[in-house]
Amino acid sequence: MRILMVSPYPPQRDGIANYTAQSVAALMREGNEVVVLSPQPSAAHQHLDFMVGPRAWAAMARRVRGFDKLVIQWHPAFFYRSSSISDRSATDLAMAAVFRLVPQVEVWVHEYEYVEVQASAARRRAAKLAFSQVDRIVFHSESERDTFLRAVPVDAARTVLSAHGHAFLPRTSMTRERARESLGFAPDAFTFLCIGFIQRHKGFDRAVRAFGRLSPAPQVRLDVVGSTRLEEPEFLTYLNELEWLTGSDPRATLHAGYVSDELFDRWILASDVVVLPYREIWSSGVIERAALFDRPVIATRVGGLEEQATQRRVTFVDDDDALAEAMAAAAGLELDAGDPAVDDSELEKLPWAELQEAVVRRAAVRGGGHRSKGSSAATRTGRRDDDLDRASVLVRRVPPYVTPPPSSTRPGVPAVKRVVQRLTAWQLAPLISRVDNLQTATANSMVLLAEQVRDLRAAVHALPAAGPAATAPASADGAPAAELD
Amino acid sequence: MSGITPDQRIGRLGIVPARFGPKIVGGAEIVLRHIAEGLQGRGWDVEILTTAATDYFAWENDQPVGVREEDGLTVRRFEAVKSTPGTERSVLGHRMLSGDRLSLAEQERWMNDDVRVPDLYHHLLLHASEYRGLVFGPYLFWPSYACSQVAPDRSMLWTCLHDEAAAYQDIYKSLLSGVAGLFLQTEPEHELAHAIHPDLAPHAVVGCGVEVPESYDPERFRQRYGITGPYVLYAGRREGAKGWDELMTQFSHAVRTRGLDLRLVTMGAGEVRPPAGLEDRIIDVGFLPDEERDDAYAGALAYVQPSRYEAFSRTIMESWLAGRPVVGIAEGGVVRHHVRTSEGGLVYDDAEEFAEALALLVDHPHLAAEMGARGRDYVMARYQWDIVLDGIEENIVEWTPAPAELVAVTAGEPGGGS
Repeated sequence: MRILMVSPYPPQRDGIANYTAQSVAALMREGNEVVVLSPQPSAAHQHLDFMVGPRAWAAMARRVRGFDKLVIQWHPAFFYRSSSISDRSATDLAMAAVFRLVPQVEVWVHEYEYVEVQASAARRRAAKLAFSQVDRIVFHSESERDTFLRAVPVDAARTVLSAHGHAFLPRTSMTRERARESLGFAPDAFTFLCIGFIQRHKGFDRAVRAFGRLSPAPQVRLDVVGSTRLEEPEFLTYLNELEWLTGSDPRATLHAGYVSDELFDRWILASDVVVLPYREIWSSGVIERAALFDRPVIATRVGGLEEQATQRRVTFVDDDDALAEAMAAAAGLELDAGDPAVDDSELEKLPWAELQEAVVRRAAVRGGGHRSKGSSAATRTGRRDDDLDRASVLVRRVPPYVTPPPSSTRPGVPAVKRVVQRLTAWQLAPLISRVDNLQTATANSMVLLAEQVRDLRAAVHALPAAGPAATAPASADGAPAAELD
Repeated sequence: MSGITPDQRIGRLGIVPARFGPKIVGGAEIVLRHIAEGLQGRGWDVEILTTAATDYFAWENDQPVGVREEDGLTVRRFEAVKSTPGTERSVLGHRMLSGDRLSLAEQERWMNDDVRVPDLYHHLLLHASEYRGLVFGPYLFWPSYACSQVAPDRSMLWTCLHDEAAAYQDIYKSLLSGVAGLFLQTEPEHELAHAIHPDLAPHAVVGCGVEVPESYDPERFRQRYGITGPYVLYAGRREGAKGWDELMTQFSHAVRTRGLDLRLVTMGAGEVRPPAGLEDRIIDVGFLPDEERDDAYAGALAYVQPSRYEAFSRTIMESWLAGRPVVGIAEGGVVRHHVRTSEGGLVYDDAEEFAEALALLVDHPHLAAEMGARGRDYVMARYQWDIVLDGIEENIVEWTPAPAELVAVTAGEPGGGS
């Protein structure tokens, strides 16, 4: 059978790309002739830019000729250039026309915009028209299929459920010990891992906050690994927030950067527990990859995860407290007393000073602030040192300047933007470098200043006690209130 | 010979250069060819996996796609695909060179807006398990980047790492930390690899082999190409990244300000574009057969190496084998390392030093001869194929497990095992 597979494809870093490559290999082994078409240049045989809108499907009409089957790995981000209802509806209609040209059409739904489709009658009609041309619509879970059918009421007989990881193969052959060694884990480390694209709906911040509530244990660590799918403000802001959160706890580390398939699997193999605190998701490739290496998972009960994970080692949780409890249980730790999870009645027994401290800490946690745990920096001096470090961190964590992509929903505008970019690059590139250099220099200066302040503090502390007239009033914990801050 | 026994040389090895053919000038491609020939000669089952293109600039598929024997090696060629205009790669490449940080998405677009080999990727997707090991090289090219990730546990890299902007891009980190092994050619390359990527995959400095010609006849070369008077030689691609434009400017400065009676003879690919007034001093002899190439080295006053981005610099070895000194750019860590260690030439940092070095060699031919002789000793002691192949096969055996089914067969054969 001649099959045209449409999907992002390696070497693009994308779970669906990886999934598709393994599916393509399986189809080829079955004797099918498979041609892969990806939205961007890749290892696929062909590529087609779907961001030009409905006219991409005019090109598709030519490409699908001669194929017995069209298979699409579906994610809205691959096929729609804007969120405009009219534009998406036009794309759906163009898609419907192409689907009629192929003897068999199969769509694997990895994600779908149910809410948007349900909110617009016009969009729903267009989507229904497109998907009613599809012979086989594949989902990873029953609940995902049911939700889809409520939004796009097509013949349920055409829908199919498929186990998510049926074609998955491990991409690392390292032993677990070698994988841990290569990633710098101490032999006795107990590692929680959050891995995948860094975006708010993945909820990695929840894991960092829950991790912060575990009782101190130096060998326990949390590693957050991944990169943003797009270099856009929304994603970079979330990345920044995660950097802030993980930077506040020395036991938590954010590894933001490129993760190859091999490295992805190596991290999972090396970890002790994979934590997936998703806010929303329909299915998870990470659960499947964790299963490949027999790693236990703690996941939130969202989308179709519970159905997907029936044969997997997954502990499901429903909220942040349960997440923290599950992580504590996995690591054999207690939840830290004095945390927001603690019964409020406990607060009534606290002396005033501890009560005040608990209020401050609870407010910080609720407000998305930080707590410094493993450093046991409970003293005021310790906290001030943390603040000194954070002064440079604040500068370092300003996201890098990213040249805006020359995209637009208006025809012709991307081409104009590209021309403008090329014409102005000779002036802008040095400026961008200059700004980056200034950022680095400023952060380095802050580090130097922090060192100076520390030295000064140490010198002040080392001074012999002065007479009563010169002594500043002492605070409750005995530290001079007039210390340099 | 290495301590590897015949029964350990089991399983097929795929050697994966981006281009392959007798006329290929690129250093890594020539080296991978020699490695393939050498390993096959030692009893390994070797297959070349490469593109059907042989020209670095055009990337036209000028060879037939498919499997055939070429000079005693099994060569499996795949179509090279260049379906994008390359403009984005050019823009992003310029930003990279100017020190701008590229986002991951931009790095990926930079990588994919160039020659790609989808059929090679799919061949490995289906058949990687049929190879005991796959040796890709150099790190920079799409086949190494994309295809080594199909089966990283059996992929090795003839790394050719240079201190260049591309080497610092995030997309290469996984490659250099996640494959089965990295072959490095020099200590400077080794140090650079550690400096850029602290978590390197298993690696070894194995050097690089250079063939020793049986004889030289510089007069034959001079007569054939009508070259009279002393000349310096440059061999390689004539392009900015190799320092060609800078070399012409510095050569022009040297001959004009110092009044040197010198020509610059060049062999290789790429447009020459000599500066105005210097057309008769720059002589392009194009591609040369091996014998003539060796004669060209022997006839030169010195070999000039203006490229900062060398992982090994095979051409300076060839010059030293011919007994001629090297004038190399000091900024290139590998070139400086070779010249300083061997004392087989001089290094320069700017046009004045380049001119001074050439003037010294013109005025003191006996010094040039002494430097050349020291260079030859250096190459003969370190960079012979037998030594290099020993290191390569020892590491292949260490980094890649022999296919279990073949181990069983070999063990069961009379005389199998040792």
